[in-house]
Amino acid sequence: MPYNIAMFCDYFFPQPGGVESHIYQLSSKLIDRGHKVVIVTHAYAGRTGIRYLTNGLKVYHVPFFVIYRETTFPTVFSFFPMFRNIVIREQIDIVHGHGSLSSFCLEAVLHARTMGLRTVFTDHSLFGFADAASILTNKLLKFTLSDVDHVICVSHTCKENTVLRASLDPLMVSVIPNAVVAENFQPLSYTSHESHHRNAPGPPNPLGPHDTITIVVISRLFYNKGTDLLIAAIPRILATHPNVRFIIAGSGPKAIDLEQTIERNVLQDRVSLLGPVRHEEVRDVMVQGQIYLHPSLTEAFGTVIVEAASCGLYVVCTRVGGIPEVLPSHMTEFAKPEEDDIVAATGRAIAKLREGKVRTELFHNQVKQMYSWTDVAQRTERVYDGISGVLSHDEFYQGAGAGGGWSATRGRAGNQSFALIERLKRYYGCGIWAGKLFCLCMLVDYLLYVFLEYVAPRTHIDIARNWPKKELKDGKEKEVEALKDDGGVGRKKSSRHRREKESF
Amino acid sequence: MGLKSPPVQTLTTLQPTSSTISYTVSTRPVPKTLPGVVGLYLSLFVRAAIGAITVVVLWTKWRTASDKSTASLGWVAGAVVETWMVKAMHTCKWRYVAPCAILILWLVFRRGYTEESLTLLRGLGLQTSTSSSTYLRTPVTRFIPTTEIQDIFIHEAFKGFEVRFYLGIVVKNEKDVVVVFPTLLPRRAILEEVWRGARACLYGSGGGGEKSNKGDTRE
Repeated sequence: MPYNIAMFCDYFFPQPGGVESHIYQLSSKLIDRGHKVVIVTHAYAGRTGIRYLTNGLKVYHVPFFVIYRETTFPTVFSFFPMFRNIVIREQIDIVHGHGSLSSFCLEAVLHARTMGLRTVFTDHSLFGFADAASILTNKLLKFTLSDVDHVICVSHTCKENTVLRASLDPLMVSVIPNAVVAENFQPLSYTSHESHHRNAPGPPNPLGPHDTITIVVISRLFYNKGTDLLIAAIPRILATHPNVRFIIAGSGPKAIDLEQTIERNVLQDRVSLLGPVRHEEVRDVMVQGQIYLHPSLTEAFGTVIVEAASCGLYVVCTRVGGIPEVLPSHMTEFAKPEEDDIVAATGRAIAKLREGKVRTELFHNQVKQMYSWTDVAQRTERVYDGISGVLSHDEFYQGAGAGGGWSATRGRAGNQSFALIERLKRYYGCGIWAGKLFCLCMLVDYLLYVFLEYVAPRTHIDIARNWPKKELKDGKEKEVEALKDDGGVGRKKSSRHRREKESF
Repeated sequence: MGLKSPPVQTLTTLQPTSSTISYTVSTRPVPKTLPGVVGLYLSLFVRAAIGAITVVVLWTKWRTASDKSTASLGWVAGAVVETWMVKAMHTCKWRYVAPCAILILWLVFRRGYTEESLTLLRGLGLQTSTSSSTYLRTPVTRFIPTTEIQDIFIHEAFKGFEVRFYLGIVVKNEKDVVVVFPTLLPRRAILEEVWRGARACLYGSGGGGEKSNKGDTRE
């Protein structure tokens, strides 16, 4: 069933980053599958108003006040009139928010439930529980996620973290990993005919005992990315392995420490620092090496190690967060997040490469089969089907959790009631004081909605036209699907036809 | 966003020759029934009468205040009215008469509606116009020659707490887009009709008509 989906997030292009590209890739694949997707974000310098990206992806850059690192000021209610206008004019059925630090997204989920829309939330990061900022963020997250239809996390560790932070029913949390565009991360042997990659040195395969092994590190040089571990490990690794050199790309506050270490140990000829690298250049840096070292201290998913494996690099990484579930064991060498173990693991990786035990040339195709955005879009679509009742409860949860009996306030897990009293119950359970505060917020939100319906009636809002390509794609997809499965999803198809008749 | 529903906007198309077309969007109420038409003309007449009386009152006050003859009023309205008026003006002070008169005149001359139009002349260019708020001033117009027009399109923008459609014209060597119907910002259906007509008139019928539109077949 084609849905009209709105993605809400503070973080979007032109700012680069993992969440941004996740939203973009997911949206464009969902459009390919015949859905309509709009992205709503705040205005960036030089990027305002309403814009179209490739494939008819519409982006609303709502003018809003930015406080910290491209996060908007949490005003709770001031966004509601604009939100309602966009949702009505785009005929949105599903609101999909991204990123637990984005106040924009959290507000959107609240308003969407008030307006009676289905909501999905994707969490991209891990958080602690101890420090003050985390407690506040977690409370806010709990507030928002008390009344959400489904949550998507990028890894099982992330799921565990989110379930604990927001006190969720684990059933209503799905894990859909990130993906990579494998075509953009091909090893050298794939593109040897292309002229602009010619000057990069090819991997000497098989490696002799005296061939140079290059270890690549691409990360922002922050504390949480494990730069301190890297700084401690580099001199020791280089001391024990003579024919090894490092290429380090990225910038950040720890760059100075790194430079000092290199100078103190006189390693300039064996460690090259490239500084910040643009995302499209990452592949060209990666293919210069044979090992990718990822010493991160916390990571929800770690797209970069998938990218590295896709480029045919053997990955040495710390066993933290969601990293262990990302790649199969034959592509990685795990270490504990401590100096000695990282040195040891790197040594093991070097030895394995020299022995020719690792078939790195096969990695690219394996990664390509494991991670694709089309797959991510399919799985996300299934979540949409589940929450909008196209899939029955048993089908969606595969028999787990009989009838959603986990929570008394929930009629059925994943298909939450919009009734005001049900919503109030859910918010009230958030805490002694917070519960009451949240209920108050929700009531104000509801009254604001009633007021807006009176002041700016729906009939006065123009419905935006859809991108014309969508209908073509849709038709084609329908044909393909009709050919592919004749009886398999009969019920699903019939509901799709019913829906179409209504909309025409 | 007002508490009342916004006034109904009507689109009037006027095409005197095949190469000229004028689109007018107006909030002026057009009565359909006979009582409606009669009421409209009656209210116009009452307006004019109130305006005239106010002017006469002001004139009388001026004449009496400066001890001049008000004989001409006697010829027009009769001696009884003249003596009554003069007496009344002697008791009323300027400080009451003047503000009341200004207020009444402002109400009489106030235009109760907004009218915006786009006139297209094939081969010459187009002219946008926005009516002024009173009957005393002429509308604000702008002429753009064909050679200066780079494109005409419908797009959306944030306005206040909502997203509105607008018809924009890209003018050569100008940083900002010229918005047609800037105060009324009509609904999409009206804009699309105007846009189609304008493209047909400027670029000839069928000349890249669907090039920059986001039209679909859904509705």
